[in-house]
Amino acid sequence: MSDFMRQSLDSAATSAPPWLQDYLRAGRARWESASLPTRKTEQWKYTGLQALQPSYAPAADGAIVLADAGVELPRFGGYRMVFVNGHYSPEHSDAQLPVGVSLVRFANADTSQAARIRSYLGTVVGQDQALFTALNDAALADGVFLDIAPGAVIEQPLHVVWLSGNQAEAFSINQRLLVLCGESSSASLIEHFTGARSEQQSFTNGVTELLLEAGATLCHYRLQLEEAEALHIGRVHARLGADATLNSFHLALGSVLKRVDVVVDHSGQGAHCELNGVYLPRGEEHVDYHTCIEHRVPHCTSSEVFRGIIGDAATAVFNGRIHIHRDAQKTKAELSNRNLLTSTRAEVNTKPELEIYADDVQCAHGATVAQLDEMSLHYLRTRGVARAEAQVMLSFGFINEVIDTVRCEALRDYLRVLLTRRFARDPALVGSVS
Amino acid sequence: MSQEHIDQAISREYAAGFVSAIESDTLPPGLDEDVIRFISARKNEPDWLLEWRLEAYRGWQQMTEPKWAHVHYPPIDLNEVSYYSSPKSMQDGPKSLDEVDPELLAMYEKLGIPLHEQEMLAGVAVDAVFDSVSVATTFRGKLAEAGVIFCPISEAVHSHPELVRKYIGSVVPRRDNYYAALNSAVFSDGSFVYIPKGVRCPMELSTYFRINEAKTGQFERTLIIAEEGSHVSYLEGCTAPMRDENQLHAAVVELVALDGAQIKYSTVQNWYPGDAQGKGGIYNFVTKRGVAHRDAKISWTQVETGSAVTWKYPSCILRGDNSVGEFYSVALTNNFQQADTGTKMIHLGKNTRSTIISKGISAGQSSNAYRGLVRMSPKATGARNYTQCDSLLIGDRCAAHTFPYIESRNPSAVVEHEATTSKVSDDQLYLCQQRGLDAEKAVSMIVNGFCKEVFKELPMEFAVEAGKLLEVSLEGSVG
Repeated sequence: MSDFMRQSLDSAATSAPPWLQDYLRAGRARWESASLPTRKTEQWKYTGLQALQPSYAPAADGAIVLADAGVELPRFGGYRMVFVNGHYSPEHSDAQLPVGVSLVRFANADTSQAARIRSYLGTVVGQDQALFTALNDAALADGVFLDIAPGAVIEQPLHVVWLSGNQAEAFSINQRLLVLCGESSSASLIEHFTGARSEQQSFTNGVTELLLEAGATLCHYRLQLEEAEALHIGRVHARLGADATLNSFHLALGSVLKRVDVVVDHSGQGAHCELNGVYLPRGEEHVDYHTCIEHRVPHCTSSEVFRGIIGDAATAVFNGRIHIHRDAQKTKAELSNRNLLTSTRAEVNTKPELEIYADDVQCAHGATVAQLDEMSLHYLRTRGVARAEAQVMLSFGFINEVIDTVRCEALRDYLRVLLTRRFARDPALVGSVS
Repeated sequence: MSQEHIDQAISREYAAGFVSAIESDTLPPGLDEDVIRFISARKNEPDWLLEWRLEAYRGWQQMTEPKWAHVHYPPIDLNEVSYYSSPKSMQDGPKSLDEVDPELLAMYEKLGIPLHEQEMLAGVAVDAVFDSVSVATTFRGKLAEAGVIFCPISEAVHSHPELVRKYIGSVVPRRDNYYAALNSAVFSDGSFVYIPKGVRCPMELSTYFRINEAKTGQFERTLIIAEEGSHVSYLEGCTAPMRDENQLHAAVVELVALDGAQIKYSTVQNWYPGDAQGKGGIYNFVTKRGVAHRDAKISWTQVETGSAVTWKYPSCILRGDNSVGEFYSVALTNNFQQADTGTKMIHLGKNTRSTIISKGISAGQSSNAYRGLVRMSPKATGARNYTQCDSLLIGDRCAAHTFPYIESRNPSAVVEHEATTSKVSDDQLYLCQQRGLDAEKAVSMIVNGFCKEVFKELPMEFAVEAGKLLEVSLEGSVG
């Protein structure tokens, strides 16, 4: 533990602004006193960390030419902010943000901004046992604070691109986003992770904190489109105030290791959360989603749907926990996780969990694992559709129900094209059923 | 529902909580190799079994107590437990029922098990295990005619050593887990059942367990072997007296269902759950597992109403093609009881099928968790699992949890899991009350309906008992 990432941590400690220093030190103390999880750690039972390199260089703060890097960034009609290796890239970002939205980089914050950031930073994600959050805290040289003013209604989506650029040796990116949705505000946020070159050996350790004040509405979409050698350990932690609504969608294409923890805290009465996701590992990729819905107060609702298609020798892990605290009466919570295995070497480990300490609640969860339904395939074939095409159609249909929950139309259209291409181009994902 | 009703229910006494004044021969508390040698010598065991025990003990010494279950209890000092207790009058070994201590017989009658052959109601052959030794086994003659062996395992060690040696530890290895290893080292007695090829056991077999002596642990071991194409239904029931300190029960049950055999194993567990303040009660840490070979079927049915802490996962290893595993469970916790129970279905063979139906009811300040594992191995082509876990919450201080692990490595295997949690609905209660039922009756009826799927799997007379047991445990816990 002591040597791993030391270089990055030391360089972060020297470049971080003075007002963050104590925060870094606290994170570093927690990181150094912990040890890496093993397969015996319940939270990491199905995800090994063998893919982690013994050391990572800090990410360079370099400019990048998107075309050279083979990156094409879509436009969703809103405002785009691009971060290369965790550093803000003004040349690719829109200069003008809508009224009511301010974006502050931790490194550039003035005194009052710093005080404001400091009062929110880490309050959502907490100082719990999460090891990689400690690492993120310890390496926090820079971060992004997105501040949405109370009452602001932002029609167009805010598109935040996290791009991992080129670098010769294995490098690490420390990504940190803090979003404050003021009272009764409304906005959409797209977090878009993508890599410049697919063979990059990058390790992204990300933390996103979403703070929704009373009556706020946030649509949060997180696309994890890095592939191949990109290693990603991420955490999204949201706290919902009274009557706040979070509509969240996650998509992960596989890579050597992707682990995402999503925690949603209902801490004000009447809060509602919709959490949906899709994971599509193939090859020898690994995707792990751990979600936890915390119901701390009465009269909240949550609904969660995650679906996965696992091909080749890929593995997927899903752990969906619903935790209803004592006195969180009148809670309604449901969760569904469905998986398709399309190869004899594919593997899925799923565990929907309920932990309930209040009686007047309605909770349900379900999980299934199977392959494409033979009857449906047969039906399509009797209608003259070739088997391979029928498989693509059914696989896409399986995912499409979740895509439908995405409220941003431009994003929905982008995802449909992306996934159709992926299915059609990749018969391995759907083709080995027969 | 009034506070009066609640108080009434809370003050209800544990009906099986009497202590029998039977003089017994109890080993002083503590555990070391000498204790194991003593137990083995007392039972006149062959050397291989003593070695087997010692090996288990040495393995156990290197193990640590499992902490993953969702239960909380003060650390158990295993050196304060006595590992052997037998009623004194048993020392010479009763040759027939007439020689059995009349007070023992009276006690069983009090519990409502008709031990005497002439008093048998429905042809249930009983092997009664009292503290650590087997007291009497009824209906031996009739069973022997069919070729069925049903006797205490301590006796089987002498009469059928080849069978015991071949199968003991074959399903639950000595070092399987902390409590199974402890049991392997110090097990005192238990039942042994052997059903020969093609035989349908002519009657239900039954074991009755009771912990009587204070500060003793009970470590029984049951081994059931069903040869090809045979069929057996086995029942066990458990009680213990009311005592302030916690007592340990760590049993091991092994089932072997060879090709085409069927074993049905039913449990009504009513160990003393502790008083309304959570004081006393049995720690029930049990390892139960069966191996099903080709076309075989193993069915576990359990009604768990007792014990302060339960830690129990009757499992099926579906090794042979087309084998079937079933698990039907009702677990009820009240006051400060804690249960972490469920099953494991390990699908190894082709076209194996498993069904899990689990009904958890928590009342008072209790905690009730379902923990299960369904594993589809790469070779389990065409395997199928269906799991349904429902929890019912009664009262706002109780807790219900579900932890199902699903691991699939075969695309043609189908796994379905569903779980729901709710309370007794006000609408249902209202409807019943409107029809003239009082609230208690209505709740009891609704809960019985909630458990119906499991009760119908129990043999008739046990289903009636289970229904009553539930009613007794539940009455008044609805506010």
